[in-house]
Amino acid sequence: MSGRGGYSRESGRLKDANQRRVLDEATRQRRARQAVEALDSDNFHDDPHGDLVANKNAPKFQDTLDTRETRKRRSKSADYYKFKYRRTLPQMIEYESLVRPEQPTFVDAQVPPSNFPKRNFCAVCGFPSGYRCITCGVRYCSVSCLATHAETRCLKWTA
Amino acid sequence: MKAKSERRRLFIGDQGLLMNWDIQKTVWDYIFSKECCPVNFSESPLIITEPYFNFASIQEAMAEIFFEEYECQSFLRVNASDLSDYHYRKDNSSAQGCLVVDCGYSFSHIAPYIKGKKHKPGIKRIDVGGKLLTNHLKEIISYRQLHVMEETYVMNQIKEDACFVAYDLMANMAKAKKKYPENDIVMDYVLPDFTNIRRGYIRTLDQPPITEQQKLRLNNERFSVPEVLFHPSDVGLDEMGIGEAVSYCVSRCPSVVQSHLYANILVTGGSSLFPGFKERLFKEVRASAPDEFEVNITMPEDPTTYAWHGGAMLSRDPDFYSFVVTKEEYEEEGPTICMERFDG
Repeated sequence: MSGRGGYSRESGRLKDANQRRVLDEATRQRRARQAVEALDSDNFHDDPHGDLVANKNAPKFQDTLDTRETRKRRSKSADYYKFKYRRTLPQMIEYESLVRPEQPTFVDAQVPPSNFPKRNFCAVCGFPSGYRCITCGVRYCSVSCLATHAETRCLKWTA
Repeated sequence: MKAKSERRRLFIGDQGLLMNWDIQKTVWDYIFSKECCPVNFSESPLIITEPYFNFASIQEAMAEIFFEEYECQSFLRVNASDLSDYHYRKDNSSAQGCLVVDCGYSFSHIAPYIKGKKHKPGIKRIDVGGKLLTNHLKEIISYRQLHVMEETYVMNQIKEDACFVAYDLMANMAKAKKKYPENDIVMDYVLPDFTNIRRGYIRTLDQPPITEQQKLRLNNERFSVPEVLFHPSDVGLDEMGIGEAVSYCVSRCPSVVQSHLYANILVTGGSSLFPGFKERLFKEVRASAPDEFEVNITMPEDPTTYAWHGGAMLSRDPDFYSFVVTKEEYEEEGPTICMERFDG
């Protein structure tokens, strides 16, 4: 077949798939873990509309009180407590094993993994999905969702 | 310091523990100040709640602050579900046990109580709570429609206004795939602009369409977000869902009390307020509980304040002062007295 100039019979789809970078299992797991951690992160931010004060007399969350009685109590600043009681998690776990040996701890109280199989939903639209992205292993349900995924998310997060 | 992506937390859920003392102290100062809730600690005892299996270092610091800073006269440290169980026993004096399902902000707990005493091996935690659900909703809406990652407050309102627990997930998914008249799930949510509209609201599709306001189209998001409570694996969290965990926790209790626990399931906490939560939980527990056991789920009128009211009732209990630690006892014996009395 190579006789006809430039024409080859290899499959364009397979060639495309072979060229694509495929993430290994460890990277996929790392990305999945990061996604879970992002979900669990603290979601506090300053109120974007906090400057819009409708009523100047509205009660505010005051961090300085100017009455004499409370000022005496307030001799220690909030930072004092921050540094006095600051412990990292490993420190707390170690201390826990000293104080309460042989007892269930916070870490043990987590429920075990489910006995039911994992269900699969499209990462783009959320409906049940039957396919996975070859490159990164994310679920998708239709050609249009795959296109959206490839355009926006596939390998575009810094892994 | 490592790059942010390389930093690794030991396990998920440490955000539910008291870690930032400076912030917590500021909050306490405000709560006990004249502006909020003036209290005289020399007369009023204090009941404070903490997560299950809280760390001893946090407990000691907490006792120190309340006895030495606030000069609290008597102090009681409990888990919120202890108070719910107390309330439940007052309401149902014949109950031999109670299984408290507490779906909170940082995590959800399932805790069996046998005649008022908690059974520690049966207490389990699922790292899914209101915070994770709001974050999940934020994440999928930001990807599919409009960037709302900075709008936690509004997204939390949307979650509370529009989300519900599906009784049958796949049937709801099939319905959500259809177009509007057959699909009664899809709806619009008009976002607040904080000038004309102070709070967002739901707008069903049978009303004439509006063009001037920003709105979100909610479809399968409405039930796939609370679904995470029942299947944490949907977001990649390798844990049991609430329904499965209930049977698991009961199975870790002595067999003589298992039937009592199934018959006295109490649901509390803000994340249980989704419409359909109780029906779905019943369906899942009924499916996994042995056939001869009766399954009975109680949901208080207001699940968010049930534990608080239990605490208020406990403070009027004639035996209340035998549970607390007083300032004199603390000064005499130090932090160990708290541990002996509260964890015994």
